[in-house]
Parts: sequence; C-alpha cells; structure tokens
Amino acid sequence: MTAVLVVVGHGMVGHRLVQELRSRDTAGRWRVVVLGEENRPAYDRTALSSYLDGKSAHDLTLLGHDLLHDSLVEWRFGVRVTHVDRVACLVTTSDGASVRYDALVLATGSRPFVPPIPGRDLPGCFVYRTLDDLDLLRAAAAPDRPGVVIGGGLLGLEAANALRLLGMRPRVVEMAPHLMPAQIDPDAGRLLGDLVGRVGITAHCGVATQRVEAGADGRVRAVKLSDGSTIEADVVVFSAGVRARDDLADGAGLPRGERGGFLVDDRCRTPDPHIWAVGECAAVNGRVYGLVVPGYRMADAVAAVLLGQGDAAFPGADMSTKLKLFGVDVASFGDAHGRTEGAWDLVYADEDAGTYARLVLAADDATLLGGVLVGDAAAYPVLRPLIGHRLPAAPEYLLRARS
Amino acid sequence: MTRLLIVGNGPAAHRFVGQAHRRGYRGTITVLGAEPVAAYNRVLLPSVLAGVLPPAAVALPGPPGTADVRLGVTAVAVDRRRRLVLTGDGHGYPYDHLVLATGARARVPAVAGLRRVDGRPHPRVRVVRALDDCTNLPAGRVVVLGAGVLGVEVAAALRAAGRAVSLVHCHPAPMNRQLDPAAGGMLVRHLESARVEVLLDGRAVEYRRGVLRLADGRRLPADVLLLCVGAEPDTRLARRAGLEVRHGVVVDARLRTSDPRISAIGDCAELDGVVAGRVTVAWEQADTLAAVLTGEPARHRPSRPLTRLCAGGVDVAAIGPTDVPDGQTVLLSDPVRGRYARVTLRHERVARAVVVGLPHAAAALTQLYDRDTPLPGGMLGLLLGAAGCDDPDYEMPAEAVICMCNNVTKQALHDAWHEWGARDVGALATATRATTGCGRCVDVVRRICEALR
Ligand SMILES: Cc1cc2nc3c(=O)[nH]c(=O)nc-3n(C[C@H](O)[C@H](O)[C@H](O)COP(=O)(O)OP(=O)(O)OC[C@H]3O[C@@H](n4cnc5c(N)ncnc54)[C@H](O)[C@@H]3O)c2cc1C
Ligand SMILES: Cc1cc2nc3c(=O)[nH]c(=O)nc-3n(C[C@H](O)[C@H](O)[C@H](O)COP(=O)(O)OP(=O)(O)OC[C@H]3O[C@@H](n4cnc5c(N)ncnc54)[C@H](O)[C@@H]3O)c2cc1C
Repeated sequence: MTAVLVVVGHGMVGHRLVQELRSRDTAGRWRVVVLGEENRPAYDRTALSSYLDGKSAHDLTLLGHDLLHDSLVEWRFGVRVTHVDRVACLVTTSDGASVRYDALVLATGSRPFVPPIPGRDLPGCFVYRTLDDLDLLRAAAAPDRPGVVIGGGLLGLEAANALRLLGMRPRVVEMAPHLMPAQIDPDAGRLLGDLVGRVGITAHCGVATQRVEAGADGRVRAVKLSDGSTIEADVVVFSAGVRARDDLADGAGLPRGERGGFLVDDRCRTPDPHIWAVGECAAVNGRVYGLVVPGYRMADAVAAVLLGQGDAAFPGADMSTKLKLFGVDVASFGDAHGRTEGAWDLVYADEDAGTYARLVLAADDATLLGGVLVGDAAAYPVLRPLIGHRLPAAPEYLLRARS
Repeated sequence: MTRLLIVGNGPAAHRFVGQAHRRGYRGTITVLGAEPVAAYNRVLLPSVLAGVLPPAAVALPGPPGTADVRLGVTAVAVDRRRRLVLTGDGHGYPYDHLVLATGARARVPAVAGLRRVDGRPHPRVRVVRALDDCTNLPAGRVVVLGAGVLGVEVAAALRAAGRAVSLVHCHPAPMNRQLDPAAGGMLVRHLESARVEVLLDGRAVEYRRGVLRLADGRRLPADVLLLCVGAEPDTRLARRAGLEVRHGVVVDARLRTSDPRISAIGDCAELDGVVAGRVTVAWEQADTLAAVLTGEPARHRPSRPLTRLCAGGVDVAAIGPTDVPDGQTVLLSDPVRGRYARVTLRHERVARAVVVGLPHAAAALTQLYDRDTPLPGGMLGLLLGAAGCDDPDYEMPAEAVICMCNNVTKQALHDAWHEWGARDVGALATATRATTGCGRCVDVVRRICEALR
C-alpha cells in the first residue's frame, strides 16, 4: 500500500524534501501531494535578486522535468493550506479541498517582518521575499528617484542593490550603529558602509524609522527618522527580519518555539509522530535557522526517516553567509561572533585596500571557528570548509589563496 | 688640558663619564651631584619601593679613572662669561666644557592637602623619582595617582609585594599615551586580576585625613599617596644661564646647547622637539656626546620609541611612534586570556605595535622593529610565539566539508576520484552531488581535482 505524504509549502526546502524522497524511494512507498501557495513551483530564493539582473523566473525554477512528471507526485500550486486536523489526519486548503495524509511535512518558510510603524501600508511600501514581490517592486521603481530600505542586514543590502539595479538611488536605514550587525563587528561594519557607499548605496545607521509619510497622491513620499531627519523615498522596502510562518500551529494544536516556528525535536518531528516541520518554519529544539543549507539538512533527515533509512539527528548548522552584492564582498561563516567559550579574534585589516578579515580561533590557538570577510571574500570557499579544523597554513596565506 | 664639568649624577652623567674615559679623554672630569648618594639606576626604583631590592642593589659601578664626583653638591648658577659653575655651598667650579645632566623632576598635581600647613611635604605623600623617595614607605593602603607607565609599574610592584593598592587615572584607559583603548582595557583586566583596584576617569581634588577625594565624589582611603603623574625636565640652571629652553634644554644632533661650550644630555635635554624621558635615550646621548667631545664626527640619531614593562605579571609593549596612520593592521584580541596585539605594517615591516600579555610577540616585534627587517612569515605564529602555522603547502583536512549544500567531504571527492574514476568537476558532481547546490564550492572542487591529477 502506498502511503500519502503531504508537503505544505513548495519553497526551497519543501522541494528538497520531495526531491530527496523521490530519488531514494525506489520501492514507491510514498505518494506525495505538494501544496504550494505561490502560483509557481519552487525557485532559488537565494538567487532572487538575479531576477532583476537579467534572470527569468524560468531560470530560477528548481522543479525539473522528470520530477514534474513523476507519477507519484501530485503538484498543486496556488493553494494555501488553511487548517490541519490532526484527529482526522486531514489538511484543508484555501480552495475548499481537503487531503488526507499519513505523514505531513510543514515547509511553510517565513514571511518578512514589517515593524508596526505608521504608514507601513501605504502604496509604495514593499517587502522582498518572492518573485511576486519583485514584480511589484519593478513596476513601482522610478529611475533616478530615491528608494529607502528599512533594515541594513544581509537581505536589506540585497534589496538596496536591487533598487540600484532598477535604476533608483538606494538608501538603507539601520537601527544598529553599523550595517549587518547580526554578522559582523563594528570595524567591519564601518568598512562595509564605505564600500557600499562606493557603489552608490547610502547607509543611515544608528537611527530608527519613525514613520513612512505620504505625498498628496497618497503614495509613499518620505521616511521620517528618529534623529528628526526626513529622507525622500518613492518606494520603501521593509527588510527588518523574518518571522516563521507557523499560523497553522493554532488550529492544529501544535506547540511553537519561543521565538516562533513549529517546535520540533532534533529529528524535526513535532509532538505528533505523523507531523514534521523543516526549513525556516521549523524551530529545532526552539531554534529557527534562516538559511537554506540547514533547511536542506532537515529535509534530508526527514526523508531518511520516512523511508526507514536512518534516524539521524539534525546536527545543527553552519550559519555561513555571503553577500552577493555586485562589487562588494561580505562573508560571515561559522562562529563569526566568537561565542564559543575561549574563542578569540585575529583581524587583518588594510585601510588602503579596503579589506577586513576577522578569523575567530579556538582556545587551542589553532582551530578555526569562524570569521568575517569584508571587501574581499575570495578566501571564503577556502576558509569555510576549515571550520572546526586546525589552520593548515598561516592565515595570511589562506586569506590570499584564491580559488 | 681641558676641564670637563658635569652637573647632575644620574644615569646620563654616569654613562657619559664611563664612555669619555673609555674613549681616552685626557682632561679632568668633575661631577656635581645634588643627591647625597652615588649614581644609581633609577629604572629599578619601583623594586626598591616595593621592598624587593635593597637600596644598595641599585647603585651603579663607581666612576672609572680619576673622575672627581662631588655628592650632595647642588649647582645654583652658571657664569658663562667666566666659565664658572657656582654651587650651593659657595664654591665655584671652572670649566672648559660644561655638560648639563640635570634630569627631570617629578610633577606634583594640583591637589589640595599634598603639603602641610607649614609648607613642608606631607609625610604620607610621595613622588617616585629619587632613591630617597623609595625607602621607608609608610605602612598601609597605597593609592597611586596616575596610570602612566610609571604608575602602572609602581602599582603592580606594590601589589605583588602584598600591599593593598588602588590606581587612579584621569583618562578612560591606563597608559593612554602608549596604548590604544582596547589594549588599555586589557591591561586593566590584568591589573584587576592581580587585585589592583583601578579607578578610571578619576580626577583627584583633595587629600585629607588619609582619604583621597575625587572630583566625582569617590573617596579612597590612602595611608600612602604616591604621585606618578609625570616628570618635568629640570631646566632651572639652563634657564637662569640664559640658554635656549623650550620644554627641555634645546640641543642639536651633537647635543650642543645654544652655547657651544655647554652640552645637555638625558632627561633634561630636548632634541628635535622631543624630551625622551627614557634611560636608553639618555645612554645613547651620553655615548654620542662622549664621541663628539673626543673628536669624532658623531651625531645623535633619534632612537625609535619603545616602551616595555612587566606589571602584575603581564608584559606590555608599545613599539614605534603613536602617529602612524592605520594602513595595514593585524589585530589579536583575546579578552578571556588577556591577550592583545595591534600591529601596523608598512611595506611588510613593523611600523607600530601595541602588545599586551604576549611576551614572545613583544620580544619578536621589538626586534623586527629595531632592525627594520621585513616580517619573516605569518603573523599568527609570530604573535603566539609558536611555529607550525606557517606551512605554505596548505592542505585541507580530509574530513573538511567542501560542498555545504550536499554535505560532501574532501574524502568523498577523493574516493569518487579513486574508486569511481570521476576525473573532472562534472564527473565528481554526478558521483557526489558536490557543486550541485548553490555552486559556490565549484572552484574548490576544481582545485582538489587538479591536486589529484
Ligand atoms: C532575497 C533573499 C536572498 C537570500 N539569500 C540567501 C543566501 O544567500 N543563503 C541562504 O542560505 N539563504 C538565503 N536566503 C534565505 C533562503 O531563501 C531561505 O532560507 C529558504 O528559502 C528557506 O526555504 P523554505 O522552504 O524553508 O522557505 P521558503 O523558501 O520561504 O518557502 C516556503 C514556501 O511555503 C509557502 N507557504 C507558506 N505557507 C503556506 C501554506 N499555509 N500553504 C501552502 N504554502 C505555504 C510559501 O509561499 C513559500 O513558497 C535568502 C532569502 C531571500 C529572500
Ligand atoms: C621610578 C622610575 C622608573 C623608571 N623606569 C624606566 C624604565 O623602565 N625605562 C626607561 O627607559 N626609563 C625609565 N625611567 C626614566 C629614567 O630613569 C630616566 O630616563 C633616567 O634616569 C634619565 O637619566 P638622567 O641622568 O638624564 O636624569 P636623572 O636620572 O633624573 O638624574 C639627574 C640627576 O641630576 C641631579 N641634579 C639635578 N639638578 C642638579 C643640580 N643643579 N646640581 C647637581 N645635581 C643636580 C638630580 O638630583 C639627579 O640625581 C624611570 C624613572 C623613574 C623615576
């Protein structure tokens, strides 16, 4: 008998799960029903910005021909799951249908967090998460006009770069004293501010956004900041972090993590033995991972469990990131903040060259724990695999190593 | 036969007399020293203060040859026309050439209560400059005012000798003229772990009934108050004689003052606008002057700024001038173990370095800086004083994960190469799925592939 696996959400991680399961399920134990809210199959969200830089939606799609026509997978796009009935093992969708499951995997990802400030709903305010968001932004963009991105993190800078690609004059407002506060330290942040400045992105750090102001036409006109200044804006993009999409938890009676997300154990299983959560919507032992690679690890683990091919715990994950901004290299990998006990920092900075590299080393004075690269991230692919290993060569040498 | 007269009997004078003798100077040498004791090594005074060294242990070797050293004799005036130095005891000492080596005097801050009503110094308040200041220190809790090099050293030495010590500084970090704020912070941690109480941003306003009061209201019990707020070149004699004096007695590269028959060396001399205040500089100047006066074309080459001290078991070094622009810097920061280094490089050479808690690094960097030689290898090995990190034949460990998206290790790539004959990036990708995620590891995979070939 084939059992039914229902996957809620067809994003990067949901897709990985289906792919992994189907490539390993040679016996055809599972029939898979994929319910995706977006009107298209999963695409490479990490490459979202390239959609404004010449790539088409087709280029970014993750669903290949074979899997699309796989007889054991039923694809349903443009439907949102609205309710999970754990007693009847049924999910209900926005078009009124219901699907019975033997196993349910929640892969609903996250949504951008829009801070509750006046004017945030005005026409001209956007978020930056889906291809649809980018279509809306593209339609609203006006060449040579100012656009403001609220949030100077990794994604905020990507959004700012997107505005630049759309011909606008981007400005970034960041509440912390420097850009990318979650990944890099103040010195690196200042250098990053200089570097993005050189490609035409102005950063306003250490100020909060008080409200978004409308012009006479009722559209966004300016952003008022906490230091009393007002900056002009034809469009505003909110990039102030994301929140797990865990709304289904209430109706289903599933617990949430402290910071949101479906609470799962290190096997990605909810307290209901038939329900798992993977990707950005999962709070693994309470912790939410906002990157795609940890999501892949979760998907791989769940696929293995579903096929009885192993019961490996999700090992936790490397939170490495690399900014894909044109002309500005930033990377952060491993324990970039030096939170490991006994960790210490070694920084190589070159004001003239505009480069900054911080390596976080372990108490044994030899093991690499993580790091931050700004201005030149060519060493990133060399350093990242070394996390947890003794440095095999002088850091200068590794930093100069180019792939 | 020329008559050489030297005023002052500190390290500069002592060194000069020895060097002049060694160079075969054949005239007479007379030294006038205000202190009643023979020349001694001032640098060792913190140890005397702490009771670690007996006063006799800091004495310098007696003068060579026939030098006539008059102890307890203070010069009070120079009659340049008659080439005569007048002393407090009413004598006159003639000279053909006069050397001023009057050193420096400890600065006394404007704090109420440092003197008694009758104008005499308070018995529990001391400067730290002369041997006499450092003996018979009253018992009890010590407050050291000023956390410059001397204050830090004195506080640490007294603490190590078992005294309760507080260190008060009017800046946010100690040794602010030598260290950057981060290094200063690290030094504070070390001092605090040696249980020296450190009070920053504190300006002393009054010392009364054994209590030192700070401007912000903090009050510190102080059985002894030590003033370590700097020293001033002793230029009184030169000024009265009408020689050119700015901060110190102005001299040229041959150590000559505005009067060609008078030279000045050591802590009282100002060369190129700088009063060094360091014993090594005093020695170098003494050497140069001895050469000049014995007919050699010597010139004083300003030595390179360097401060090193070991306080509270921690090694602190400030190497090079403070005004070096940032340029290329390497920073080591390990607050947990109190290690810190900031090294500024120019053309692969050390231009400036501040080092705390890394004795090997301090030594190595000092040497590189002094010799102005290019860095030999990696900075990490140098800073940690450990070799082993500098192997240029860099190799990733087998268990390193190369493709994060698909969890493919270097070992897996090797296996695919050897066992399945996957001989290029494409074949390796098919065999292991490496590079098929985000694709960012493709260059590394290619390199591994090349290495295998
Ligand atoms: C611009 C941008 C750049 C990024 N760059 C990087 C990067 O460089 N590196 C990196 O690691 N990560 C990056 N990320 C993050 C990465 O894209 C996410 O970690 C990854 O997409 C998470 O995958 P997911 O499947 O958990 O969630 P998502 O990709 O968000 O997919 C969830 C899907 O579920 C759907 N859904 C939600 N609720 C329902 C429901 N009730 N019913 C049906 N469907 C539902 C959503 O519409 C969505 O399509 C980036 C993100 C953005 C926006
Ligand atoms: C406690 C302490 C620790 C130090 N540690 C270090 C260190 O670690 N490293 C370093 O580089 N430097 C150090 N120094 C500084 C160093 O001691 C001086 O640079 C050095 O002593 C200068 O030598 P000098 O002969 O020029 O002056 P001084 O040592 O000051 O000697 C001058 C002498 O001249 C006498 N004199 C002055 N006027 C007259 C007069 N009119 N008639 C007769 N005699 C007169 C004075 O009484 C004094 O004895 C330290 C100083 C102190 C006080």
